[in-house]
This record gives sequence, C-alpha cells and structure tokens, in this order.
Amino acid sequence: MTPAYRHSATARAVLRSLVPVICPPDAVALADAIVDHMELTLGTTPGLVRRILPIGFAAYDLGAVPRFGRRAQSLDAARAERYYARWERGPTPVHVEFAHALNQVMSLACYEQPEMMERIGYRVGPWIAEATKKRLTVFADDVRAQEKQILAPDPLRPIAKQEVA
Amino acid sequence: MVALHEAPSPRNVFTRRDVTHDLVLDCDAVIVGSGAGGAPMAAELAEAGFDVIVLEEGSYYQTRDFTANTSQMVRQLYRDGGATMAIGNPPIMFQEGRAVGGSTVINGGMSWRTPDDILARWREEAGIEDLTAKALEPYYERVERRIHVAPMDEAAIGNDNWLLKKGADAKGWEIVGNLRNQAHCVGSNRCPFGCPTGAKQSALVSYIPRALHYGARVYADVRVSRITFHGKRATGVVAKSANGHHVVVRAKLVVASCGAIHTPALLTRSGVKSRSNLLGGNLSLHPNVKVVAIFDETVTGWQGAHQAFQVREFADAGLGCFAAVNLPPSVVAMSVPHRGAQLGRLMADYDKMVIAGLLCEDTTTGHVKTIGGRPQAFYQLSPHDAANIQRGLELLAEMLFAAGAKRIILPFHHVQELASADDARRVFNKPIPPHGWEVVTVHMMGTARMGSDRLGAVTDAFGFVHDADRLMVADASLFPSPCRVNPMETIMALSTRAAGHLIDNAGRYLS
Repeated sequence: MTPAYRHSATARAVLRSLVPVICPPDAVALADAIVDHMELTLGTTPGLVRRILPIGFAAYDLGAVPRFGRRAQSLDAARAERYYARWERGPTPVHVEFAHALNQVMSLACYEQPEMMERIGYRVGPWIAEATKKRLTVFADDVRAQEKQILAPDPLRPIAKQEVA
Repeated sequence: MVALHEAPSPRNVFTRRDVTHDLVLDCDAVIVGSGAGGAPMAAELAEAGFDVIVLEEGSYYQTRDFTANTSQMVRQLYRDGGATMAIGNPPIMFQEGRAVGGSTVINGGMSWRTPDDILARWREEAGIEDLTAKALEPYYERVERRIHVAPMDEAAIGNDNWLLKKGADAKGWEIVGNLRNQAHCVGSNRCPFGCPTGAKQSALVSYIPRALHYGARVYADVRVSRITFHGKRATGVVAKSANGHHVVVRAKLVVASCGAIHTPALLTRSGVKSRSNLLGGNLSLHPNVKVVAIFDETVTGWQGAHQAFQVREFADAGLGCFAAVNLPPSVVAMSVPHRGAQLGRLMADYDKMVIAGLLCEDTTTGHVKTIGGRPQAFYQLSPHDAANIQRGLELLAEMLFAAGAKRIILPFHHVQELASADDARRVFNKPIPPHGWEVVTVHMMGTARMGSDRLGAVTDAFGFVHDADRLMVADASLFPSPCRVNPMETIMALSTRAAGHLIDNAGRYLS
C-alpha cells in the first residue's frame, strides 16, 4: 500500500533527531525504521492533519533557532531534549498537542519494531498460531456447528417477497 | 479443516478489483454500512427474499488477513488510522471500524442487553411504549443465537483477568463473567485488530456470510457521497469506488448504518433536515479511561481472552464497568506519557502489566457537525462526569492494589504514578483538571435519536426518518441516551426488530 503521506526532508530530519529523545536508548539504532513506520501511520490520518503536518515540522525545526542558534534537526542530544521538553510544557496548547502527538506516534512506531517486541518478550505471532490451531482441533465440532448455524434457514417472519407482490 | 470464513472470497462480494467501470445497480434495499446495524438488516431482508445491496467504505478482509502486525491492522481496519477525535477539553479519541463487518471487526465482542432501567428511560424520553425487555426479547434471543453469545471458556481466561477478579473479590465488589459473541475463544487477545482465530463472531463471519448466502450483494471500497431523493422519498444513493468509478444504486428503501458519527453526516450531505434539530446532536459516547498496573509477578496479559470479566459494583453510580483490556506493547507505549529511558524502563515490565479501564455512563451530550461533507464531533466532558471518572479511577486503583499491584500509571499527560491505595486517595482527594487526561471511546451513540415525536426525535420507533420517506437509520445513532453497557447487541436487536417491521409492511416500504 502506498502511503498517502511522505515525510518531507525536514520532517524526516526532525523525527530522526527526536528518536533519542522519545524512544528508549536501545531503540536508537532503529531510528530509520521507526521514522519509516511513522510515515505509514501518518499516511492514514485525516487529510487535514496530513496537510498541517509539514507546517508543524517546519515550526518545530525553525523554532529552535532563536534559543539554540541552530535548527532542531541539528541539535545535540542534550539540547534536543531541552527543546522538546519546552514544547511538551507549552507555551501554547498547540505546542503541547504537537509534542504529545509526536510522542504517541513515535512510541507506537518504536514498539512495532520486531526487535523491540522481542526484547520485552512479546511473541504474539507464535501465540496466535498456537491458539488458532487449538480452536480448530480441540473445538472442531463446535466450530463446524456454529458455521452451519450461520447459514441455516431461520426466517424472521413467515413471509416471502413473492407473497408481497 | 477450512473454516467457512477462510473459503475463497464469495462471488457476491465485490471489491475495488471488481468495479472496473461506472455502475448503475437496482435493488429493493440499499444498506450503507456493514456493521452491527447494517449486517443484520441485510441478512434478515435477504433471507426474506428481498434484493439487498450493502455498500461499505472499507475493504473486505477475511480471518486469514488478520495478523500480528498491530499497526498494519489499525491502518487497514480503522477509520483514519484510529486518529479520530471529538474536540473538547480534553479531546476524546474515538475509534470506528472501516471494513466489511464495521466496528464489530475491531470491538471486544462484549454482548449485553440494554438494562431494564435504561429501556424504561428510553420509553419515557422517546415515547416508544413497546421498547420493553419483553418486547425486545425475541430479537435479543435471535441475535444471541446468530452471533453465539456465551460466557468464556475458563481455560481461555488470562492472568490479567484473574487478577482483576482477585481485586474485586478482595473488595467484595460485584464482578460478572463477560458475555461475548464468540465460539470457543482461545484467548489470542487480538479482538481490536481483527480476530485471527475466527472465534469472535463479528458481523464479518456471521451476519455478512448469512446475507451473502441468501443472495445479498456486498460492495466494499465504495464510499457513499449522498442519498438521492424524489421529493421526500429516498430513491437510492450515489457513491464512488476507491478506484474512482461512480456507483449509482436505485432502491425502494435506503438504510443508513454508518454509525453515530457518519450517519448524521450522510443524511446532512444529502439535504435531510430534521424538524427536531437533533440530527447530529445528542451525541453520547461512554467516555473511558485506562490505567496501567504493574505487578511483581509475570502476568503475560496478551495470552487470554479480552475482557473476561466486568466489575459492575458501581454501574448504578454511572460507572458502567471496570475491565481488564490487554493492549499490544506499541499501543501501551503510545498511551502513556513516558519517553526516553523512562519509557524503556516501563516497557521492560510489559509482561507484568494489567491494563484496566472504566466506562462512564455520560450525563451530557455533544454533537456531530458536518464540515465540507465530513463529520467532526464536538464533546465537552461535563464536570459531573469528570468527577465521576476521577472517582472511578480511585476505585479502580484501590481494586488493583488489592489484587497486588505495586504501582499504577494514571491516564494523564503529566506522569502520575501511584504506589499504594493511600496514594490514590491522596492524589484523587482534589479535583484534577481534565486537560491532559487520556480519554477514549468506541461507543458513539444518539445522533439520530428515535422517538415518537417528530419535533423531539430524528426517526420513529423503527428508525424511519420522520422528515423523509423510505429512509431508515439502523445503528447506534438511534439510541435516545447512553445504554450503559456495550451497545453492539442492542444495535443488532433494534436492527432485527426494524427488519421484522419492514417485512411485515413490505407492501408499504419495499414495493
């Protein structure tokens, strides 16, 4: 599926600089995959959000210049942390919501990485396979009976269209 | 064994691959939406011999398509990737299914009848005298049979739910086994992302196959732009397929089953006006909040049935239930305010987490406004409901500490962590401003409310729009007020009841 949204160069650089701020230290090596994943997620958001995002990233990037003398994407780790924390606290609700949304989407992307799931012991694929097999073997007769019931005749009313006509 | 739902795609399901040119279709009834309202209506009318077309904006998936890839499932099955929000303070995130089967594909499968006292309130508010438990009984029974409503197999109940029960028992609170539409759920705990085992009897694997079996046609990937009219009489719909082809359906009856957010938008886009001025109004949504409780022991909450129990102790006080609702790690990570190393430390304990939530029976309403053809929900949590939720969080925390929780993360943007029940009492001793709360919902209701008085309701007792002809609503939009419990079964029962009324009066509505 082709995402309807593509990170701009600025967005990609800003997001990459935020990976060490938002994600755990052991996820930093996965920064590119995390940023790519965010593109997929943001691609499904409402069109209005997708249109506003580039403005948000540009504002975040350039907003660092007055205080730090360089764009957000070029800040070192300590300054990037301080700058993001300022957005988290304000100065306006828009800043707060933007920072919060970035945290949400990046945290989601981070723990969608197979390596991160493996590290915390979330091995859901094999579990689904095991559960599915159990259902279709141990409960095979009941499963079949339910499937038959779904299709079996059981008219709501003793009337057919032909009678209406 | 090949399960029914895993057979090749049925020949009367049409997807974007099948719609290769503009289409004009004729039928008796066109149903917009294939979820809890639309699917039973389609199955009942089709079995009665009527020619039914179902149009669904989302795509057609089968059980084999539901994988462990959480974010891919969200992108495929949720409207706008789940990023839909009612504007207010706090904003309330809500989720809607967008796939054949609608939100039944992504819900938890809780199947409850609307309590008698709520029905009594609806009778009084809506002036619908026969909206009694006795009158609805045959429809509820029929729905429960069709979607196999049953208690959980005990072996499928996971540790997170047993801990919830331990806490409730320690407090002496009422806790009930959940009733769910499942046939031997084996606890994959993936309900919100499409049941990968086929156990959850969503509309996708129950009513839709039944409707198809009796001749209904389902067009997926088709978005209805408006309903067509001849005078006041609805005559069909105009739609567009995902690949850009126009689809016109001419029908004797139009049924809007798009859910409480999109049904009022469709009606408004189509020029429908209600003299009640309530079209899009009266939005209630069972606000709910979640906490993350961390135990010393390994819980592995992702193995076991979703919401096996509900704590009902405070239902009469407006707190519908407390329940354990496991979420995948990515969703937990996005739901907490933590970041950086702090997030890493929290998530390292993922296997020791019990995620529990509460549902508030709201006492205020919001509205859905149609802007540029698209719906936008507005909802301001009332001070009363905010206080009730705060009280609920305190009780939920007390219960989880009674079960042995060591710490609890609260649903606030600024990190709030509790270490004991005393801590909970201290934190909740004063009002916490709702700004920064994480409030979510999947129960949107009431935006085309039914009622006998056309000046006080959008539709009549069966869902016929008062100010139009041959136009029905069949979804949670009809509810006069919140139903306190999970709404799916009542949506299905009301839809079945409406289908019965149509069949009984086919000469009037379907000829």
